[in-house]
Amino acid sequence: MATTTGTTSQATPGSLPPSVFTLPQTAQLEALYTIIRDRTTSRGDFLFYSDRVIRLLVEEGLNHLPVVPKTIETPTGSKYEGVGFEGKICGVSILRAGEAMEAGLREVCRSVRIGKILIQRDEETALPKLFYSKLPEDIASRYVLLLDPMLATGGSAIKAVEILKEHGVPEERIIFINLIAAPEGLVAFCTKYPALRVITGWIDKGLNEKAYIIPGLGDFGERR
Amino acid sequence: MLGEELPKLYDAEEHRSNSSQSFQARKNILLKTHGRPPWYDEDGLPVCDAFVIGIAGGSASGKTHVARQIVKSLGSVPTVVILSQDSFYKYHTEEEIALAHANRFDFDHPDALDMPMFAACLADLKACRQSNIPVYSFAEHQRLDETKYLYGASVIITEGIMALHDPSLRALYDLKVFVQCDSDLMLARRIQRDVKERGRSVEGVLEQYLRYVKPAFDNFVLPTSRYADIVVPGSNNSVAIDLISTHVRRQMNERARHFRKNMACTSIDKCLKPNDNHEDWNVIVLPQTPQLKGIYTTLRNEKTSRQDFIFFVDRLATFLAEKAMELLPYRDKVITTPTETAYSGKEPDVKHICGVSIIRSGGPLEKGLQRVLSDVAIGSLLVQSDAKTGEPLLLHVMLPKCIRHRRLAVDTWVFLLDAQIGTGASAFMAIRTLLDHGVQQDHIIFVTFLVAHNGGISVLHKAFPKVRIVCGAVDEGLRETWLEHYHSEGEGHHYGDGRKVWIVEPGMGQIGDRYYL
Repeated sequence: MATTTGTTSQATPGSLPPSVFTLPQTAQLEALYTIIRDRTTSRGDFLFYSDRVIRLLVEEGLNHLPVVPKTIETPTGSKYEGVGFEGKICGVSILRAGEAMEAGLREVCRSVRIGKILIQRDEETALPKLFYSKLPEDIASRYVLLLDPMLATGGSAIKAVEILKEHGVPEERIIFINLIAAPEGLVAFCTKYPALRVITGWIDKGLNEKAYIIPGLGDFGERR
Repeated sequence: MLGEELPKLYDAEEHRSNSSQSFQARKNILLKTHGRPPWYDEDGLPVCDAFVIGIAGGSASGKTHVARQIVKSLGSVPTVVILSQDSFYKYHTEEEIALAHANRFDFDHPDALDMPMFAACLADLKACRQSNIPVYSFAEHQRLDETKYLYGASVIITEGIMALHDPSLRALYDLKVFVQCDSDLMLARRIQRDVKERGRSVEGVLEQYLRYVKPAFDNFVLPTSRYADIVVPGSNNSVAIDLISTHVRRQMNERARHFRKNMACTSIDKCLKPNDNHEDWNVIVLPQTPQLKGIYTTLRNEKTSRQDFIFFVDRLATFLAEKAMELLPYRDKVITTPTETAYSGKEPDVKHICGVSIIRSGGPLEKGLQRVLSDVAIGSLLVQSDAKTGEPLLLHVMLPKCIRHRRLAVDTWVFLLDAQIGTGASAFMAIRTLLDHGVQQDHIIFVTFLVAHNGGISVLHKAFPKVRIVCGAVDEGLRETWLEHYHSEGEGHHYGDGRKVWIVEPGMGQIGDRYYL
């Protein structure tokens, strides 16, 4: 391929927990992140290019779902040994930024059911607290694509998984889909849930004193 | 452009006419009766230039009539351009325009014409390249900013009183024709035409004639008759026209090429290498992930509903387009994030980028491309195979601006879209068309769902080694069959009793039909 791999802010793969999968770090992907990180990027471009990354992430996430052998006949009359999709899926977005990933999800998984979880920091305890959740009734029998574009400290993601587990979803059937992660958050999240798979597009340098991801892309929900 | 009606042609000297604008529009045209067969050999190089005929003769001698009769009797020749010298009047100064409006500018003098540009445009067309010829307004007596795009003629007829005057033009003609007519007959025709059709007075016509037309004829036009290969009488000339068109037809037949058979059924082994050698790749296959296999299983399944087929085609096309984007060059770019941090990233290092879809089955890839490149211009090419010979025919060319203009085309990256590469005949023709326009070979990225392992891809690769092909699967077989044996709904009755087609096996069936019908 005529591409070079840039690792401007990517942590070395060796230091990652084994359940973390990143997209291939092509120059093209770096160019996509350059657009969505740029503070001068218009809302329209931000939408368009973040959707492109989200589709790639969802495609990568779906590869972790099981398939079964399936033989079919083609219109030319030939037999073809292929595979069929196995298992039902649903999306769960962590409000409010996660909602912005739903359109991208539905472009790849047509009319997929989408549950929602609202988690905010409790003013008194400073801990993440569940404010609202609405999930498909049969979620316990589904694979769950958990959507949150930014993983900073990992607090709300950890809380969201806790809620999914309360609803009977086993850890190994949850795939967390994420655009940008801070190494601190990744470590905290994966240590807590080692069987859960994380698909992230880019791992950034770290967090600043306000717990923003650096270099990051600002407030994802705000920019959409 | 391709596809215009056989026009009514008028003589070259439009300057004295008040209503000449509409005549002018019809002059530089491309006529076609059917598609254009291959104009290149198995190595992808053009095998022949277009056949160029230059027709000169005095004003009202009947040049246009001769040109029109040649076109008519050529009948079977796919594409004919008629190029009028009128387009090549020079860009005039303010003073010249004032003179022109007062009927005091000598348009019958060779110096009124931009001969170098005339020759350059004709040379481009002759060499099967596109040309953007100037548009001259007779109402404003000025060359306009716009140009007219012409491409794909196999016969070019240039007509005008000075058509044989310039040596650089004469060097380009394969056949030089002079229409010989008595001066009194030309004057009689001229008076009749200008009075009747252009509302002029006899005195005015005569004054014009004596001041400009007659001296120009004697000094510049008549002497060029000695360069002519054939002198055609200005009236009762059907024998001469028959001789000319027989000659042209014979020349065209000698140039025809039938090479489709040679393209099928050779092996792709040489160009499809295992995944460990990045540098020599020209076929880039998507990683065979479980999802990708699942998508292909759905698309290959004849029982898949149309709804599902469309959805998965769009999804796959998006993925292929993303893969194709990886092949572009990128350069460094430093930006500032909303967290006030400097970030050194990348951006595509390309000037122009566009899509070109081979109609109809390139269409299913368009949505995917649009999801990856917002507001990308997508042009189209229509290539159909001849029902009798199986030869590909180019029927329609509609390309984005960044390809139409040669100076832009050299910096343009093109995603060429077609559902599959079977015999490779239409891919071959499409790539040749892009190269004719000045697009660089390594700037062409062919995006397709399927490549037939035993198909024309090896010939394609041999001819165009720098063109890269992005696909999702490589299939084993390519087989010739009758369309009626496996037509899906809607197909079949368009072609009466069926026709020979090549199908990829196991394949996905007729992708265009399954997506659109």
